[in-house]
Amino acid sequence: MGEKRRSTSKTLGKNKRRKGPHLPNSILKTIANEKRPLNSDEEDDEIDSDDAIVDLYEYEEGVPEEESRKNNRYDPVVNYNYELPEDFEDENVESDDDDEGGNSDNEEGEGDDVVRHTRMLQAVTGMPSAAFDGESKRKPVLFTEAYPESEFNPTRDVLEGKGLLTIDELMAPIEGKPGFNELEKRISRMQKDAQAVVHAPLPKPERERLERKAVKGLVDKEFNKWVHMVKRNREAPTVYFNQNVSLGYSTVGAIASEFQPRTDFEKKMASVLNDNELGEAHDEDGAKLLELNEVSVEDQIKYRDHIAKMRSLLFRHELKSKRIKKIKSKTYHRLKGKDLKKSAMGALMDPEMAKEEAMKQEARRVEERMTLKHKNTGKWAKRMISRGLNVKYDGTRAAISEQLQINATLSRKMNSTNDGSSSDESDDEEELNDGSDQDTPSKLIAKAREKTLKTVEDDEVPNSGLLSLPFMARAMKKKNEEAIEGGKRALEEYEEWENSGGEENPKKTAVVSGRRVFGATAKVEAPKESRKDSDNFYDNSDSDNDTEGIENNDLGAVRDTASPARNTGAITETEFDDDVENPASKTTFDVALFASGSWKKMKGCQNAETKKKLKKHVPYSKGQDKKESRDDESEDSESEAEEMVDGILTSASKETYEIPSQAELIQRAFAGDDVVDEFEKEKQEVLNQEVPEPEKPVLVPGWGQWTNIQKKRGLPSWMVREHEDAKKKRTLDLKTRKDARLRHVIISEKVDKKVEKLHTTTLPFPYTSKEVFEHSMRMPIGPEFNPATIVGSLNRPEVVKRAGVIIKPLKFEEANPNEKVDDEHPRSNQKQNPKKGGKTGKGQSKGKSKQKTKA
Amino acid sequence: MELSSEDNNLTEKVLPPIEQESDVELETTVKKYLRGEGADLETLKDKKLKTQLASREKLYGKSAKTAAKIEKWLLPAEAGYLETDGLEKTWRVKQTDIANEVDLLSSRNQYDIVLPDFGPYKLDFTASGRHMIAGGRKGHLALVDMMSMNLIKEIQVKETVRDVAFLHNEQFFAAAQKKYAYIYGRDGTELHCLKERGPVSRLRFLKNHFLLASVNKSGQLHYQDVTYGGMVASIRTGKGRTDVMEVNPYNGVVALGHTGGTVTMWKPTSQAPLVQMQCHPGPVSSVAFHPNGHLMATSGKERKLKIWDLRKFEEVQTIHGFHAKTLSFSQKGLLAAGTGSFVQILGDSSGGSSSHNYSRYMNHSMVKGYQIEKLMFRPYEDVIGIGHSMGWSSILIPGSGEPNFDSWVANPFETSKQRREKEVHLLLDKLPPETIMLDPSKIGAMKPSRRKEKQSREEIEAEKEVAIEAAKSTELKKKTKGRNKPSKRTKKKKEMVENAKRTFPEQGHNNTASKKRRIGEDAAAELPASLKRFARKN
Repeated sequence: MGEKRRSTSKTLGKNKRRKGPHLPNSILKTIANEKRPLNSDEEDDEIDSDDAIVDLYEYEEGVPEEESRKNNRYDPVVNYNYELPEDFEDENVESDDDDEGGNSDNEEGEGDDVVRHTRMLQAVTGMPSAAFDGESKRKPVLFTEAYPESEFNPTRDVLEGKGLLTIDELMAPIEGKPGFNELEKRISRMQKDAQAVVHAPLPKPERERLERKAVKGLVDKEFNKWVHMVKRNREAPTVYFNQNVSLGYSTVGAIASEFQPRTDFEKKMASVLNDNELGEAHDEDGAKLLELNEVSVEDQIKYRDHIAKMRSLLFRHELKSKRIKKIKSKTYHRLKGKDLKKSAMGALMDPEMAKEEAMKQEARRVEERMTLKHKNTGKWAKRMISRGLNVKYDGTRAAISEQLQINATLSRKMNSTNDGSSSDESDDEEELNDGSDQDTPSKLIAKAREKTLKTVEDDEVPNSGLLSLPFMARAMKKKNEEAIEGGKRALEEYEEWENSGGEENPKKTAVVSGRRVFGATAKVEAPKESRKDSDNFYDNSDSDNDTEGIENNDLGAVRDTASPARNTGAITETEFDDDVENPASKTTFDVALFASGSWKKMKGCQNAETKKKLKKHVPYSKGQDKKESRDDESEDSESEAEEMVDGILTSASKETYEIPSQAELIQRAFAGDDVVDEFEKEKQEVLNQEVPEPEKPVLVPGWGQWTNIQKKRGLPSWMVREHEDAKKKRTLDLKTRKDARLRHVIISEKVDKKVEKLHTTTLPFPYTSKEVFEHSMRMPIGPEFNPATIVGSLNRPEVVKRAGVIIKPLKFEEANPNEKVDDEHPRSNQKQNPKKGGKTGKGQSKGKSKQKTKA
Repeated sequence: MELSSEDNNLTEKVLPPIEQESDVELETTVKKYLRGEGADLETLKDKKLKTQLASREKLYGKSAKTAAKIEKWLLPAEAGYLETDGLEKTWRVKQTDIANEVDLLSSRNQYDIVLPDFGPYKLDFTASGRHMIAGGRKGHLALVDMMSMNLIKEIQVKETVRDVAFLHNEQFFAAAQKKYAYIYGRDGTELHCLKERGPVSRLRFLKNHFLLASVNKSGQLHYQDVTYGGMVASIRTGKGRTDVMEVNPYNGVVALGHTGGTVTMWKPTSQAPLVQMQCHPGPVSSVAFHPNGHLMATSGKERKLKIWDLRKFEEVQTIHGFHAKTLSFSQKGLLAAGTGSFVQILGDSSGGSSSHNYSRYMNHSMVKGYQIEKLMFRPYEDVIGIGHSMGWSSILIPGSGEPNFDSWVANPFETSKQRREKEVHLLLDKLPPETIMLDPSKIGAMKPSRRKEKQSREEIEAEKEVAIEAAKSTELKKKTKGRNKPSKRTKKKKEMVENAKRTFPEQGHNNTASKKRRIGEDAAAELPASLKRFARKN
């Protein structure tokens, strides 16, 4: 037994390594049964005692283990057959020098068994334990005794003590005891038998092959049962899973009728709803309802208590608010208000306040955007930035960034206050529109002045934070002064405009509107004054321009930089204007854009015209000569007709009609001469373009031409070969072209990249050949191209299944040889009842899983 | 598929006897609906795919059969034809003879409209044949309802009109005028002036792509998408001025005829012509396409008319002694050619699809002096419209029009509601310009391989063989001082052969083997020296 165990562990290890198909239990059992005859009875017992697969494998592999023991293997058979006492075998186990931990445990257990056994024997026989011990202690003797080693008695067998014990030796101790003779007889008989019968077992690979064959037969049989179903499912264009499915309920009422109250509340409700008494009361006159509608005392008390509690709470709250109202501290109220404001932003504030706030915010924003006070435009900030001090000192940097932050917050557009901002925007628009609005220049000016005044006047200095720092204050002051200066200037200007507003023409106002400026930073530029000297052509030069010029004389130098460009522009403009004014012909109009030499061009044009006219006469006469020939009739009639049309219906000049040039006419007249040649040439060109000729191999000058021999040898052979290959390839390409055989046709084989997206780059999944795919693509499957009765089956999906339907595993069905697969009538895969889990054999479940993956 | 039917064709003389529905007939129609052969499934190795495709093919067959059976009910009308007995010839039958035989409704289609003032007229019909636009050279545009013969709108643009074309329905039409092309509405209002194209000489509208194609005087071909107005393509043909332009109704390819006798075919997505054909030695005077797109007729000024098969780009037939100023194919495949004041209708007498034999079918002579400008068959009617220098005429050509119309495709009896619906559908089904190609059935197929595929194993082997043979057969120079020993020579030869072999890459299995070996070696290298001898050797 011990030996069996050991082999078990070994084979288990082997088994893991093998990773062969995990055979189902039943199959293995049958295999085991088939094999059994080969072996002794003892193994039978073993199998019976253990029930796991493990034992089966043990059995399988146990044999090869034995086999490794060469000649000796037959003796153990004898041993097995001999019914030895249990303890004898246990000794063997102990003699095992296996190094596997699990086994040692077993051995220990068996050791215990031995002790127990001797104890039992002691108790039964009354003999001292030594009498029994003798046998168990024979093992070390076996170890120590040096038996003569021979090729039939290898050392390992010695350790196991098998080959060395003869039956006579074993028999010796019990000689003379009752039943000895009988035993001896039996043994001698068995020995005879054994010598006569035993055959050599088959070699391992052969035996394994046999085994595999047997297993394969079994497995195949098992699997083949499923083949017809698998085949049917694989070949079916559509698998249906929605047949014979009843969801159980058909209506809401049906569902409701099934309702069972579970929770307490539900139960209570159910008891009330299903109360017969109540129902009866309703059914009758309803007087009984009053009786049923009684209130318990406890409920009443509860209700009263609740109301009392509420009242007391209300009272307390009242008291509290009264106390708060009494507080006269302004700080307290201010803080409270602040808190309120903080907590109740936006939606909680009343709309009016919100609007006001928004207006304020908007005003601040506008001011910020106009003045750009916080955009580090100040002198200080500029200086700091230019000298890089802002990088050097943290304080400065912080100050600058803070300014920017302020600017950002101030100039951020408020989206939350929609109507306020929109009105403002509209205002802005109004302003913008006003600029171009020529009807109310005075109004506009007034408005502008107002605004400027406002900005000039409000020069409040912030008395806290960064801006209150002395240098900031200084800078601000300076800036403000500047702004005020600018504003004043602007104001003056406005006044002037207002004075001359009446007589100003619209063009002027438009110009003015472009220069409209608000706020302090806006510099009032007056570029007009520079234009003044070149504005000779302007009849409408105004007085205001002059005054401006005078006023801003000191700035003239600076502004003159811009003037040259303007001057040229003006000149061209004026010239153009002049030309337009000229009652010249239309042809000059487009020419006049190139300001210089317009006259010359015009002349040229006219010349051309006259030339054309001259030309016209020639072909006409020609045409008239040829009029009899029908072939050219169309051309003639066309030209005639056009002439006529022009003559009758339009008074426009005739130059739009271009009759074919002389060269073209000649070409047409002799068109039939060499068209074929020309076409051939063209084809050659196209071919050269699409399949370019290989470049001729060239050596770098000076290389490989040092000696005469080198020169004589010419180009290196590889170059020549390459060139020849390229040439060959080209000829091949030319041959394979579609138009290779057609002399009169050029078929372009250029690849159109835009078309590429209309082709597939790879074959779609199930297809393996291009031809088959393209053939199957030929039929449209849409409802426009097929009869309505077929469209459905043409477009049916592979699996038809209603949502929520459970797809049950396939159940085995007997093959029906007469059954024909019919696409029309949906065959259900869902008829089967659900399988009872895990009761069927393993082989079957395996078949199913396979089936599922394939289906 | 809904096919509404109306027997609106001419019942000329006697209708063919109503034949029993024979299997042969059904088979031919089934073949038509099968749209070609199925793939050869025997070559497939994948059984699953094979069965799937077989079942699919079966469905296709069923669909085709059903469609063929339905056809009897949906397409009840048969095309008319002229039948003569004995020595009578069809081309001797005159319009007056026909007029006596046909019903009143049909006889109303024979008329001449004489408008002598505004010169040769161009014609265009809508797809349904209900409306016609006539453009007189001298600026007269007339939109006519052909069913009721109502003049819907008539305008005088006071400019040369070179061509007219309907857009997708009768609501819009384009006219190529003196300087620009214009698009007009049904009520004659000018909707667009297409300035970009320059002075257009020919206009054609591609219905499925919503492209208005035009060629101008300087030989530039323009494609403009009329749905959004964008210029899809502007191509310089480089072949000079032309006024021969036609659209292949099958694939939308535009053909231009040039003075050099070439016909070029274009698509909007490439600047180079798809095909250039040298059709005539002299200038090409007109081009026409068969509705199935496989046939093209060209006529040259050298008085020849040629019919080409566009699948092979080969000439099918040449008809001598006839120069056509204008050509037109009817829906049923009759070819009309007009010169001077003479119209000739050619019919395909072979009947088969493979060989074409066009011969005289009917003649018609106009009044002497009328110059024919444009011939166009009216769709779904046995009528041809003739635009000439003195107005336009209409004559009966039995068997020219498709007798059954598909109301999903073109409905002559369209209501305004249907028209609107149709317009939306047309727009939804609009094809992008890149779908214009010579063989549109290739759309959705595998991308044609640009280069030749990798050489097959056998080819490489063959090449190797050749190289080795060459190496073996090279003559060695005679050398001196013991270098000419046989051993040296054989060694040298061996080396050469080896070199020749080495130029060819090792084949697949060798590579994997070497890789394996390498892996084994690596494993051995990693082991400590004492264990190296146990490393597995391959």
